[in-house]
Amino acid sequence: MTVKKGNASVRGASVKMSRRKFMGTAASVAAAGTITGFPNIVQAADPLRTIGLGVSIINEIQGKAAKDLGFKIRGQALGYGALFGKTLNQNDQYDVSECYYDMFDVMIPSGVFQAIDTHRIKDWDKISDLTKTGMLTPGSSIGQGDAPVRQIWVDKDGKRAKGPSRYISGLPGWHNADSLGYNPDDTGRPIESWAELFHSDFKGRVALLNIPQVGAMDAAMGMEALGLIKFGDKGDMTRKEIDVLIDFLIVKKKEGHFRAFWETFGQSVNLMVSGEVALQSMWSPAVTAVNAEGVPCIYASPKEGMRGWHGAITISKKATGKRLDQAYEYLNWWISGWAGAFVARQGYYMSTPANTKKHLPADEWDFWYEGKPAAKELPDPFGSPLINKGQVRDGGSYEQRFKKIAVWNSVMTENDYLVKRWTEFLTAN
Amino acid sequence: MSDASKTHHTGLIGSQPKPVDGLQRAKIAHTEEGFPTAWLITPATIWLILFLVIPLISIIIFSFWENTPGGLIPAFSFEFYGEYFYTEGFFDPDADRFLLPSVFIRTLGSTIYFTLVTMFLCLIVGYPIAYFLAMQVQAFKWQLALFLLCMVPFWTSYLIRAVAWLPMLGRRGLINQALLGMGIVDKPVSFLFYSEFGYTMALVQIYVVLGIGPIFFSLAKIDKAILEAALDMGATPFQIFREIIGPMSLPGVAIGMIFIFVVIMGEFATAVVVYGGKTSTAGTVILNYYGIANYPFAAVNALMLMLAMVIGIVVILRIVDIRKEL
Repeated sequence: MTVKKGNASVRGASVKMSRRKFMGTAASVAAAGTITGFPNIVQAADPLRTIGLGVSIINEIQGKAAKDLGFKIRGQALGYGALFGKTLNQNDQYDVSECYYDMFDVMIPSGVFQAIDTHRIKDWDKISDLTKTGMLTPGSSIGQGDAPVRQIWVDKDGKRAKGPSRYISGLPGWHNADSLGYNPDDTGRPIESWAELFHSDFKGRVALLNIPQVGAMDAAMGMEALGLIKFGDKGDMTRKEIDVLIDFLIVKKKEGHFRAFWETFGQSVNLMVSGEVALQSMWSPAVTAVNAEGVPCIYASPKEGMRGWHGAITISKKATGKRLDQAYEYLNWWISGWAGAFVARQGYYMSTPANTKKHLPADEWDFWYEGKPAAKELPDPFGSPLINKGQVRDGGSYEQRFKKIAVWNSVMTENDYLVKRWTEFLTAN
Repeated sequence: MSDASKTHHTGLIGSQPKPVDGLQRAKIAHTEEGFPTAWLITPATIWLILFLVIPLISIIIFSFWENTPGGLIPAFSFEFYGEYFYTEGFFDPDADRFLLPSVFIRTLGSTIYFTLVTMFLCLIVGYPIAYFLAMQVQAFKWQLALFLLCMVPFWTSYLIRAVAWLPMLGRRGLINQALLGMGIVDKPVSFLFYSEFGYTMALVQIYVVLGIGPIFFSLAKIDKAILEAALDMGATPFQIFREIIGPMSLPGVAIGMIFIFVVIMGEFATAVVVYGGKTSTAGTVILNYYGIANYPFAAVNALMLMLAMVIGIVVILRIVDIRKEL
């Protein structure tokens, strides 16, 4: 059970948090937005304040950083919505925000971050080309949507800059590529395309992720793979495209195609373990958690490519003086290797693979990054056994996985319209 | 209840508590004067002002703000109210959305629908239980024990119970195993869970106790002597229920229904866990917009939900005048 718990903290916990805290924080978040004139007096003993999702805000990580760096760090794990809102509306309430490149179409113009000077990032040259050129290895495809390379470069003032620059919007952190998880006993065949999401064989046995921005993208991958529509940019759909997509989904929903829509990590695991669904959009650590329950579950590598997402560590514009120096120290620590090894055991990759490799025993590196069979039983980040001897990571090696990212998580220009139509999809019966 | 029937009852009721006489009234007044009653409500008042009134006012204020790419801007804009009520093509006879209420109004409508269905079922299921406890169980100790038994489900988080239904109602659950085993079906039925059936069943199961409590208390208050008197005068059990028990338990029914109404209107977790998120409730819409940091629109949705709830409560109170009945 501890195996699952370790994994469950990855993303599920954070989403649940947002639900629980919703009523309380909704007002306070917005209220604090009104009070911006207060001076931000920093005491030497005050901890460095960092916010993020449960993926990166984990006691072990911030605790180890504080120990290594010699100053206090206070991490606050939020749900996606709360993180988005706090980062945007309360940049005097954090020094570092561990957020995601798909938020940057909103965050960069709002000017809540300060530009990060790469000259102050010690291991800048060790950061892979995935975020610098968009291609992890030469010949990879960049992918549609908010690819990190489209969001990373800014000028000294934090405004968008074309092409490589000395300044960046956020320091590349942990990342992964998601696709479909399926139970091979139930599907009866390997799943090799997003089109299978809508195949009538699986009617009533399919689940989608109920986060409109991401769920719509998974559905769009499926619809495009079926040849029903060709999206200009799945990461930035037009109203017309959103209409076509949602109308299609409503028809499918009325046919009874969907078994459920999940919102948290735990729900997706539950749906698969209980046999309710045969096939669903899924996060990769959830597949590991399903396997840990003894239920077969495979992470598909669709021929159309996967959907990528990438964490970015940012510094608030309000951080100055000693606090700013500490923020830089914390950023440098994040990519120096220990944290990379920690998140690797949850199935996430780090922007500085060479540093991660130094902190990861060879067996674990081979399994998580090289896609080789586990030479022995491997642990999760908290030391409990997670991977059985001989197990192979679905989706192959890090390079294979990121060679073909079809689309990156994005917040579209028409986001409000998408959310409205998604609500209509959920209400349709 | 009409005044006529009221008089009728008073005629029957010989053992009604006597009106407070002059001496007693003076005593009560004295106690009130001698005891600083205003101080008693101070903590609650401060609590409510801090955590209800002020947040409520801020929600009203936010609902007029603008949500720009650069963040929230204080303003007095009706943009999001327009968004709530108006759908493109509403006035266009050629559009497929001609005269179709906005998705937000439809969602609120479906929330009200599920709430009413659940209230109705809770009444049908809950009333007999309350009646049994109050009228059939004689010993007070047993009444109390059985009533506490009704509360047992509240001892665990209902989300835990909701999760526990899956092994019962799911595709591989007990019921499906039994149906398959007996050869009644040849493949698992899926309407039991992640379905409208499952959702309504769950809501009734979770909230029926909120109805049983108040109905039980108002039934227990009925003086048994009145019922005996009615029997002696030749009333049939149906007449007794229609003329005495029914009307006298109405306040409990109303209070119970208000509890259920208020709680289910704000529901969002059960729709996610038991209905598999396959429906939107007014609550999930608020969450969705909170999730994309569109606080003004979340606030508008919250206020409309609140308005619907206030209207609902007023309607219930119009049907039953609780003050008069108590």
